[in-house]
Amino acid sequence: MIASTGGRFRIGVDIGGTFTDGTLVDSTTGRVTTSKVLSTPSDPASGFISAVQKLLDIDDAVSPEAVEHVVHATTVATNAIIEGKTAKTAFVTTEGFRDMLEIARQIRPSLYDLQFEKPPPLVPRQLCFEVPERLDAKGQVVTELDESALAQVVDRIAESGVEAVAVCLLHSYRNPDHEQRVGRAIAAKLPDIVISLSSDVVPEFREYLRASTTVINSSVAPIVSSYLSAISEKLRAVNVTCELLVMQSSGGVYPAAAAAENPVFMVESGPAAGAVAAASLGSALGHPDVISFDMGGTTAKASLIRNGQPSITKDYSVGGAAQSGTGAFGGASGYPIRTPVVDLVEIGAGGGSIAWVDSGGALRVGPRSAGADPGPVCYGLGGEEPTITDANLVLGRLDPAYFAGGEMSLNLEAAREAIQTQCADPLGLSIQEAAHGIVEIANTAMVNALRLVSVQRGHDPRDFMLIGFGGAGPAHAVRLAEQAGIPRVLIPLGPGTASALGLLVTDVRMEGSATLIVRSEEIELSRISDEFGRLESAGRDAHRIAASASGEPVFERAVEMRYWGQSFELSVPTPISSTIDQTWLDELIEAFHDAHETAYGFRANDEPVELVNLRLTTIGKIARPEMRRLENVGSDASVASKGERPVYFAENSGEKGIVSTPVYDRKRLPAGAVFSGPAIIEEPDCTTVVHPSWTVKVDDYGNLGIEYDGKL
Amino acid sequence: MTTATVDPIKFEVIRNALTQATEEMAIALRRSAYSTNVKTRQDFSCAFFDRDLRSVAQAFTQPVHLGSFVRHVPIAIERYGPENLGPGDMILSNDPYGGGVHLNDISLIGPVYYQEQLVGYTACLAHHVDVGGGAPASVGAFREVFQEGIIIPPIKFVKEGELDDDLFRLVLSQIRSKRETAGDFRAQIASNRTGAIRISEIIDRYGIEEFDRYIDEIIEYTDRRTRTELEKLPRGVFEAEGFIDNDGFTDKVVKLAVKITIDENGVRFDTTGSDPQRRAPVNSTFAQTFSACAYALRALMDKDLPVNDGFYRYVHVEAPEGTVTNCVHPAPVVGGWETHVRLNDLIFEALAPALPDAICAGTKAMQCHSGFGGENVETGEYYCFLETIAGGYGARSTSDGPDAVQTHGQNTENAPIEETEANYPVRITRYELVPNSEGPGEFRGGLGLRRDYMFPEEATFTILADRDKAGPRGLFEGERGSKSVYALIRASDSEEQHLSSKTTVQLEPGDVISYRTSGGGGYGAPFNRDAQAVLADVSQGKISTERARERYGVEIDVSTQKVNESVTEKLRSER
Repeated sequence: MIASTGGRFRIGVDIGGTFTDGTLVDSTTGRVTTSKVLSTPSDPASGFISAVQKLLDIDDAVSPEAVEHVVHATTVATNAIIEGKTAKTAFVTTEGFRDMLEIARQIRPSLYDLQFEKPPPLVPRQLCFEVPERLDAKGQVVTELDESALAQVVDRIAESGVEAVAVCLLHSYRNPDHEQRVGRAIAAKLPDIVISLSSDVVPEFREYLRASTTVINSSVAPIVSSYLSAISEKLRAVNVTCELLVMQSSGGVYPAAAAAENPVFMVESGPAAGAVAAASLGSALGHPDVISFDMGGTTAKASLIRNGQPSITKDYSVGGAAQSGTGAFGGASGYPIRTPVVDLVEIGAGGGSIAWVDSGGALRVGPRSAGADPGPVCYGLGGEEPTITDANLVLGRLDPAYFAGGEMSLNLEAAREAIQTQCADPLGLSIQEAAHGIVEIANTAMVNALRLVSVQRGHDPRDFMLIGFGGAGPAHAVRLAEQAGIPRVLIPLGPGTASALGLLVTDVRMEGSATLIVRSEEIELSRISDEFGRLESAGRDAHRIAASASGEPVFERAVEMRYWGQSFELSVPTPISSTIDQTWLDELIEAFHDAHETAYGFRANDEPVELVNLRLTTIGKIARPEMRRLENVGSDASVASKGERPVYFAENSGEKGIVSTPVYDRKRLPAGAVFSGPAIIEEPDCTTVVHPSWTVKVDDYGNLGIEYDGKL
Repeated sequence: MTTATVDPIKFEVIRNALTQATEEMAIALRRSAYSTNVKTRQDFSCAFFDRDLRSVAQAFTQPVHLGSFVRHVPIAIERYGPENLGPGDMILSNDPYGGGVHLNDISLIGPVYYQEQLVGYTACLAHHVDVGGGAPASVGAFREVFQEGIIIPPIKFVKEGELDDDLFRLVLSQIRSKRETAGDFRAQIASNRTGAIRISEIIDRYGIEEFDRYIDEIIEYTDRRTRTELEKLPRGVFEAEGFIDNDGFTDKVVKLAVKITIDENGVRFDTTGSDPQRRAPVNSTFAQTFSACAYALRALMDKDLPVNDGFYRYVHVEAPEGTVTNCVHPAPVVGGWETHVRLNDLIFEALAPALPDAICAGTKAMQCHSGFGGENVETGEYYCFLETIAGGYGARSTSDGPDAVQTHGQNTENAPIEETEANYPVRITRYELVPNSEGPGEFRGGLGLRRDYMFPEEATFTILADRDKAGPRGLFEGERGSKSVYALIRASDSEEQHLSSKTTVQLEPGDVISYRTSGGGGYGAPFNRDAQAVLADVSQGKISTERARERYGVEIDVSTQKVNESVTEKLRSER
C-alpha cells in the first residue's frame, strides 16, 4: 500500500464535454462527496480548480493539507489531436523513410467513397528529416550512423523552431543505440525541447505504428506538460500540495511528472475512468467479472472486466471514426497508438442521438447527435429532431416534471409531435411504437457494443454482471442486459458521477516491455529472466519516485505470444512459479495454446510458438475507500414510493403495452428493499428503468442489484 | 417499412447482427493467419449467403473480392451440388472458369446448418501468397492458366468438421510457401466456423422462419434503396476507351472499352469493343468484370447503402466472351485484376461529363503486384512474398487526389518494413513519395510511391503491374499523372535499367528492384490552381519550384518561401 502522507481525503476530477465532475472521499469514514461544475474548454484548468474548490468548501473538516492525493482524468491530449492543436514537432527517421507518417498504411478509410480524405500527417513533410544509418532486423548495424549528416539535421531542426522532436529509426526496438545518439545530439543543441525516442516510448516492431505513437507522444507533450503545471500551480494556490496523479488510458494512474514525459499513455484517460470504477465496484461486491456500460449525452462506452481487471488493447487509433473493435479499416481515419488502452467500444448513441427515417423506409438512430445544444426537442431549446431522450419521455420512462431533480421541465407534447411527424407517420406506426422503436434501435447498437467486448472476445455474457452508469446508462441498462443475455445488472449509487469515483480506486501502474521475437525452441531462458529482472528494477525505480511509497510494489508479468508466422499476439500471464526453467516455459506455451483455442477455435500443437514481447506492470496498490452502509434499512420499498404512472413496455401484454408502473425515489429506498419490475427509480441526475420480469434488490450500500427472474 | 408484417426494430437488429457475424469472420481470419498478405495487408474478404445463394451480408474488407464473390460462390456450390454438402463440410475453390478470378484467390465455402436444416453459407476468400505455377508468389506472365498454379475445382476440403488430410497434402505439395499457406487455410476454416456460430445464435433468438423472412426483407430493403439511388442518376449513354500498356509478352496495348447506358431500365455496362483475349496475363474473367462494374455503381450511390443481392441484381453487365473482359478457357488470368481496376477508371471517365462532382480523375488503377521468393538461406525454407503498392489518387472537383493510397476495389495495407525484414531475406531501402509525379490540375492528382527492395540472397522477382507507358488521365483540362517506372539496379552495374510492367527477373545478391508508381490525374486547368496550394506543395517538397513555374504558372521565391505575385500574374496571363 502506498503510505499515507497523513491525509485522509482523496480528490478525483474528471473533465467531460459538458461537466467537470469532482469527487472527494474521506478515507476514514468512506463518505463520498461530489461536485459538478460546467467545463471550461478554453481553459480546462479553471473548471478543474472550481470543482476542487467546491469540494474543499463543503465543510471545515476538509482542509487542503489533509488531501492525500488528487487524481485527474483529462481529454486534453485527445482534444489537441482532434482539433489539430498539437505542438510544432519534427520527425527524424532512417534515410529513405521520411514519408512514413504520410504514407501511413496506404489505405483509404472508406471503401466506396471517391471523395475521401486521408488524415493529415501530424508532422508536415518539411519537418520530417532523414539521417543516414541502418540496422537489420536482428539489430545489427548495416550502415553506421553518419554523425556529420546528423549534425546538419540538428541544425535544421534548430532553425525550424519546433517545440518537440520524435525519433523513430528502423529496427530501434532491437537496438536503441542509434536512436539514443540522435537524441543526445538534439538535446545537446536544443536542451529545452521535448525529445521522444521510439525505443523508449514503445519499443515494439512495425515502424509506422511505433513512429505514430512516438510522434503523438512528443507532439502533445508540451501541451500536457504546461497544462499539468498550470493545474499543480492552481492546487498549490489553494494549499493542496499533495501529489497529482493522472489516469492512464490503460486504467492505472501515474504521477504528473511521468505523464508530462510520456503523455501518449493518457490519451484515453477519460473513458478509462468509468471502466476502472466498474471494475472496482464489481470486485468490492464480489463480482470480479462485469461489463461496464457508461452512457452519456453523445456516446455510450462498453468494456469488459475479468477478474477485476479491465481488458486492455493495443489496436487503437486516436481521432479516428468510431472504433468497431475490429481493428480493420476504422483505424485508417485516425492516428494509431500502440500503448495499452482499456479495450472499450465507444459508439455514437447517447441521450441526444437523433432518430430519422432513411430513403429505404428504415428507422435509424444516430450517428448525429443534438448534443447539449440545441439538445432534444423536449428541452425546448430549439431542437427540432427527435432524440433518444425524447423517445424515453414519450414512453413515460422519464418524468417531464422531475428532470434534473425538478430543475428543468420537459416539453412532452413537443417530443410527441416530433416523433409523430418525423418517425411514426412515415412508417405507419403509432407514436408509442415509433418511440419504442427508436429506443430499441439505439439499444441494438449498444447491444452490439456489449457483444463486441464480450462474445467477440470469446466471453459468454451470461457469466457477467452489467454495471450501468452515466447520465443515460440506468435508463437503458436493464433492457440491454436482457437483449445481450446478461442476467444481472447493477446500478451503483450516484450513477451520474460514477466515473469520477473510478479515479479514486485506481492503483498506480507503470508499464514496461521488452521485445524478444524468438521461437520457443530457440529461446535462452536466462534472457527471459534477465529481461524481466531489468524491467522489474526499472519498475522499482519508477515506483519509488512515483509514490514516495514505503510499500512494496506488486508486479504483473505477461508474455505476448503467437504461432510463428502470425502477426497478432495473445497476451499470456506467466506461470506462477518464479523460477524460469523449462517447466515454466512448457506451462507458458500450453497456456498460449489454450488461449489461442479460446480466441480462434483451433490450436496447432505442432507449430512453433514465438515469444514476441515481455510485459511487466509495476503496481503500487492504493487502499480502496470503504463503502458506506446505508443507515436506512428495511425490506419495504413502499416507503420510497412516488406513486404510479403509465409507462410503455412493448414486452408487456397489457393494453397496447402501456402499464401502470410504480415510481420510487432512490434516496429514500432502504437497504434490503425488494420489488419487481416494471418499476421506475428516480434520482436527481438519473432515472433507472426496470423492465417486467426483473427484480430489484437494494444492497447494503444502496446499489441497485437487478436480476432477471427466469433464465436468459 | 411498407409491409405491415415487418417489425422495423427486429429488422434493424437482424441486419446488424448479420453484418457483425461477417465482421467477426474477418477478425478470426486476420488474427490467426500467417502470411503478411492476409494477416497484415488484409487481402481477404468474408460474406454470408442465404440458402438460395443470395448475398446477404459482407464484412468491410476488399470490394474487388466482394463483387466477384457473388458470382463465384453460387457457381461453386451449384457445381458441387448443395445436396452433397452436410453440416461441418466446406468446399475449396479457385477455378477461374468456374466463376472464379485469379488462382491466388481461394474461396472456402461452408453450409450453415441449424438443427439439420440448411440456412445459408459462410464464405471467405483469401489471396494466397503462392499457389504454385511458374514463379514464386504465383504472379508472372504465362501463356495458359495451367502455368499459373494449382486449379482447384470445388472440392470437399473439410468433411464433417475435419480437414481432409489427403487433399490438404495434395494442395500443399503444389505450393512453395507451405508453412504460411497451411496457416492461412486453417485461418479460413476458423473464419467460416466463427460465422456459422454467430448465424446460429441469431436463429436461436428468432427462429428459422423469422430469420428467413427478415433476410428477404433485408434484401428488399436494399433493393428499394438501390432503385431510389438509380432514379437519381442522369439518363444517357456514356462511353470511354483506354489501354493497358502491354500484355506481358508483346508491347501491343490492350484496348478496353466501356459503354454505360442509364435509362428507365436501370444501368447497363457493356464492354464490347475491348480487345480479344490474349495469350498473356491481362485477361479478366466475367466475375472480375462484374466486380468492377458493381464497385463503380456502388461508388455512385449513398455511402450508407448496405450491399447485398438487392443491389447486385441491378448490376447489368454485357461482356463479350473471348475478350479480355470475359476470357474463356484456357487463357491465363493472373493479371485480370489489372484489367478490372482499369475498367473502374474508364467508367468514371465516361461518366465525368454527366457527374462531374461525383467522380475522380484517373487513379493508379492497377493492382501493382510485387512478388518474390526463393530459398531462405537461414531457415532452408522456400519463402514467397507478395504485396501491392499504392499510387496517386485522381483529383476531384473540389479536392486534390490523396497521395500514395490504394485505389478503387483495392484497399490492402502496406507490409511494415520491420515485419517484412524480420521474416524474409530482403531489405527495403527506400519507401517514399515520388515528388513531381502528380497530374497537374486546379486540383492536383496524388503523388505516386517509391519502394526499393535489395536482396542479400538470390531471389526470383516478378513485377505484375502497368502504367509504364502513360500515367492516369486528367479531367477537364487536368493533366496526366506521371507514368510508373520499374527499375532494376544490378549490384554488378550501377546503371539502372527500366523493366516492363510485367516481368520476372532472377536476382543476384545485392540487386535492387525499385518501384515508382504513377501519380493521379489532375482535375481542371493547372493555371487555375490556387497559388497558395502550389506554394504548400513546394514547401513540402512535393513539387519543385521549376514545376510550379512551368506547369502551374506560379513563381515561388525560394528564400522567402512566398508566392511572387507579380511574376505569377505575368506567367498566368501569358498562358
